[in-house]
Amino acid sequence: MLALADVHTYYGSIRALKGVSLTVEPREIVTLIGANGAGKTTTLRTILGAVRPAQGAVTFNGQRVDGLATDRIVRLGIAQSPEGRRIFPRMTVMENLEMGAFARADHDGIAADLERVLTLFPRLKERITQKGGTLSGGEQQMLAIGRALMARPSLLLLDEPSMGLSPILVDAIFKIVQDINRQGTTILLVEQNARMALRVAHRGYVIQTGRIVLHDAASELLRSDLVRKTYLGEK
Amino acid sequence: MDARRGLGVVLLTAFVLVYPLIDRALGLQTVHAVSDGMIYVLLALGLNIVVGYAGLLDLGYAAFFAIGAYAMGLLNSPVLGSPLYGHAWSFWLCIWLAAGVSAALGTLIGAPTLRVRGDYLAIITLGFGEIIPVAIRNLGDITIEIGGWRPIERLNLTGGENGVNPVGRPYLPGVPFETDPMPWYYLILVIGALSLWAMSRLQDSRLGRAWMAIREDETAADCTGVNPISTKLLAFALGASFSGFAGSVYAAKLQAITPGAFEFQVSIMLLCMVVLGGAGTLHGAILGAMLITVFDRVILSETTFFTRWVGRSLGVSWLAAADLTLWRWFFFGLGLVLVMLLRPQGLAGRARPRARAAAVEDQMEPAVEAPRREAIPAWLRERAPTQTGDGAGPILQVRGLAKRFGGVVALNEVDLMVPRGGIVGLIGPNGAGKTTFFNVVTGLVAPDGGAITFEDRSLVGLRPNAIVGRGIARTFQSIRLFANMTVRENVLVGEHCRLHASVPGVVFRPPAVRAEELRARERAQSLLAFVGLGDKGDELARNLPYGDQRRLEIARALATEPRLLLLDEPTAGMNPRETDTLTELIGLVRRELGLAILLIEHDMQVVMSISDRITVLDYGTRIAEGTPAEIQRHPRVIEAYLGTGYEPDAITPSGTR
Amino acid sequence: MEWWEVLVQQTINGLTRGAVFALIALGYTMVYGIVELINFAHGDVFMLGLFISLAWFSLLGISSTLGVWQLVTLLPLVFVLTMLSTALLNVSIDRVAYRPLRRSTRLAPLITAIGVSFMLENLALVWKGPAPIAYPDVFPSVDILREWFGIDSAIFITTKDILVVGATIPLMIALNYFVTRTRWGKAMRATAQDRETAQAMGIDVERTILVTFFVGGALAGAAGLIQGLYYNIGMWWMGYQAGLRAFTAAVLGGIGNMPGAALGGLVIGFLSAWSDQYISARWTNAIVFSILIVVLVFRPQGLLGDRTPEKV
Repeated sequence: MLALADVHTYYGSIRALKGVSLTVEPREIVTLIGANGAGKTTTLRTILGAVRPAQGAVTFNGQRVDGLATDRIVRLGIAQSPEGRRIFPRMTVMENLEMGAFARADHDGIAADLERVLTLFPRLKERITQKGGTLSGGEQQMLAIGRALMARPSLLLLDEPSMGLSPILVDAIFKIVQDINRQGTTILLVEQNARMALRVAHRGYVIQTGRIVLHDAASELLRSDLVRKTYLGEK
Repeated sequence: MDARRGLGVVLLTAFVLVYPLIDRALGLQTVHAVSDGMIYVLLALGLNIVVGYAGLLDLGYAAFFAIGAYAMGLLNSPVLGSPLYGHAWSFWLCIWLAAGVSAALGTLIGAPTLRVRGDYLAIITLGFGEIIPVAIRNLGDITIEIGGWRPIERLNLTGGENGVNPVGRPYLPGVPFETDPMPWYYLILVIGALSLWAMSRLQDSRLGRAWMAIREDETAADCTGVNPISTKLLAFALGASFSGFAGSVYAAKLQAITPGAFEFQVSIMLLCMVVLGGAGTLHGAILGAMLITVFDRVILSETTFFTRWVGRSLGVSWLAAADLTLWRWFFFGLGLVLVMLLRPQGLAGRARPRARAAAVEDQMEPAVEAPRREAIPAWLRERAPTQTGDGAGPILQVRGLAKRFGGVVALNEVDLMVPRGGIVGLIGPNGAGKTTFFNVVTGLVAPDGGAITFEDRSLVGLRPNAIVGRGIARTFQSIRLFANMTVRENVLVGEHCRLHASVPGVVFRPPAVRAEELRARERAQSLLAFVGLGDKGDELARNLPYGDQRRLEIARALATEPRLLLLDEPTAGMNPRETDTLTELIGLVRRELGLAILLIEHDMQVVMSISDRITVLDYGTRIAEGTPAEIQRHPRVIEAYLGTGYEPDAITPSGTR
Repeated sequence: MEWWEVLVQQTINGLTRGAVFALIALGYTMVYGIVELINFAHGDVFMLGLFISLAWFSLLGISSTLGVWQLVTLLPLVFVLTMLSTALLNVSIDRVAYRPLRRSTRLAPLITAIGVSFMLENLALVWKGPAPIAYPDVFPSVDILREWFGIDSAIFITTKDILVVGATIPLMIALNYFVTRTRWGKAMRATAQDRETAQAMGIDVERTILVTFFVGGALAGAAGLIQGLYYNIGMWWMGYQAGLRAFTAAVLGGIGNMPGAALGGLVIGFLSAWSDQYISARWTNAIVFSILIVVLVFRPQGLLGDRTPEKV
């Protein structure tokens, strides 16, 4: 469904991605893990068109998307729960969710998805008229994911959903991630919390200073000590 | 090329000197207008200091023009009974007084407002530009009435709407400053030449570099030891004083001043001159001023004659009645728009980068020599802190540092210690608070609690540039060089806080100042040689390849003569070879110069290999401290980086409370 | 007049001025909220609104006071035509002068905006000449207290005052509805709060900015028409002063904050009316600009805005 082939992306003069290649097959959960600064968020931003790769190709469902504007890429069926949540602070929970469905026109479908999201996240239902900026970190994360789901995407990008959350909330979020995937959404999960991510995913890529250094089934990566060594700089 | 330029300057100077004679010979009678134009050139030069050098958009510059004119007018006129009027030296004294009054007003206005953001500052200056003419208009007839009591009745401070008239003329024995425009022309020329001389001295000095640095990147300048507030204030006050000179000559020449001459349009016309010509260069300001003046006074009217002639010849009535001079503001406005869209640096300014810097393939870069200990500049070695072994305490001691942003705790009672001459690594997962820590220690952000002691003195509450003065230098995660300054100039800005030349010193250049500047350049060169950029001194910083830019940042930091270096992800984006070179450089700097180093890094291999000790932050809290080997095995660190486990079946769908 | 009569009269004056300022201020604040640009030319769009409405009136052959029937049909028509004209004008200005500079520093578009402002003023000057132009007495001016209620008072409330309030309030209600309930309005708010994330929702940011300029321009045009109907006079330089006063209002209320702009407009309206009456019209400008400076230096977020710290 999604393929990155030898992507090089620059931030100013810094080469943040140095030849990244990865694939995501339909109905999979693929996780991209690595220490921060390694290039995880840059990879997502490249996919979404927020930055343009200097080299390499990004393909979605067979179509080249690198170089397209973000709003066009999104309309092709990709949605994101961004790093740091980035919900609209002065809009209500309801409005935030509506914004997630902005690109859609099927009102019945939108209403159905709204029901689905609120069932998935009952806490959001309770706070439906509250302004986004007043929610707690965990609630904001739920809102960010819910908002992304409102787009009924074929591919969901999750950027560090566990950041800033207590372990219990992290458990809950990852359980929901699995549910969403079982219901048919393909997921690319970017995480620093390697263990959580690898327990939930089917396959994993480990990225380090802009390069993919490990790639295997998630269960294999969990078992080996390689991930720890990569993260903590052991040779 | 230089010979041709020199010849051009000589010819231009000759032309300018003999112009009035040519004019008299040809009967052109343009000298009056040209003299007036030259006053505007002088004003444009003054505005250039504010807008071009320091990058402050000033939309109310005519206010200082007014102050200068009125100061001269009031001090040197019989209207208000000034005792200074009527002497031979009146004009020559009052012109300096007027400049001083303008500078004082500039300082007064600037002090509270210069810390405001750029576009807001522009509006504030516009506000002052409006208030001052209003005040001048209305202070000619002040009557205060409280109940039935009139303590002040019809007080005339400024001459009001009618202005001030007459104003005393300059006096030079044998030279009549009357209606003949020639003496005025030469007077203004002399003042102009002196101003140009002073300004070029200013530009090519420690002050000029400080202004450019602030214009390029104020925060980086602050963290390199340049005090942005006092530097901006200086630009503002100096710019105001030139305007004061221009205003006083204007008042004396015109013999009468009224508030109507200092409206918003004047400020904008001056802005047009500076923007069109190229903010930041002297010849740009002059070029812009000349172009605008010529356009305004000559081209519009000539084109009108031409158009009317065409209209009459072709029998097109509306052409024959056209008056293009009515369109002058349209053309000025259009000029501003076009310049901003097509050539924002102006006709003569240094080109600004639009696209990103060229991305150079790492593999194709020539190998960089590893830094050698012999290359360490001797003067830097002299400044090295006394070696450890004194039993002296840590060079940096942070205790209980706390910082909250809104409801989020960024730093939670963090303790950290850097021993003298030691290298400490600061690591932690995303959002752990590492850069916040740097920002607090370097003064960019005020802490909510805790103590920071550097060499046994507290740093809390100090401005970033003061902290640099104490001996802490930093580099930035995303390189913050002064992109449009040369490599050498970048390093020289680093030395700013260790140099002492003041405004008079810079302008008059006594031997001490010249020696200081020479020494500074030599030091800069030796630093550049040390980091491997010795032959690139004249390149623009933004044209350097990435690895060189990092090294330049370090050279700049070293120029501030620090005893503690804070490096924020110095190896970010580097290839392995560059990383190794940099690591060696860091090691060398510590070994030979005894500098203490605190570094944030994500490249774990670098951190583990180079650090004596490592502190680990997670969610703003220090979770571990120890040697690299200890940290690599530390369970809490592993957990922080790799995550905790979970039991999927214990959680209900709605999440537990 | 008794002192309280003077106060009431000036308060009414303040209200009518404030309504006009509020409409202009809303345009400033909307544009600033979404692109962080001080649209210096906005006051001149207001001025051109007056001039353009005059042109529409003469095109429709209206030059004398309208009867009630005509008021109900023709006046709204001229409103719509004027608002559309100024909306399109504002959009064109953005497209040509501001959009190419979206990614540059904050100062470059400000300089451009000043340039555009001068161009517009000069166009008006050449179009109608340097002298103030007379605006036909299209809207009837009836002393309400005397003619409708038979009250003999020194206070002068006319149908024109009703016009101002009667035109402004529905406009603001419509604006509020637009911003809170419609798709475009929500896109505007989202883009103003977080541009990148808004794009990730599939919002076409450039088009949203266009809509913002459109609406802002329309409001300025309405304000110009109201101004003409009320004061029966127009000057090519009025945009500058009105623009700065309205900008002060927007800043006072909290730039980027729409209720703040409305509030600020009213406050500046009252302040300017009271200053004209109790101090002197000669000082009013200085007073308003002093307020502007004080707010920008000491409380840049205004009365209703939140502090947005600069990122390091």
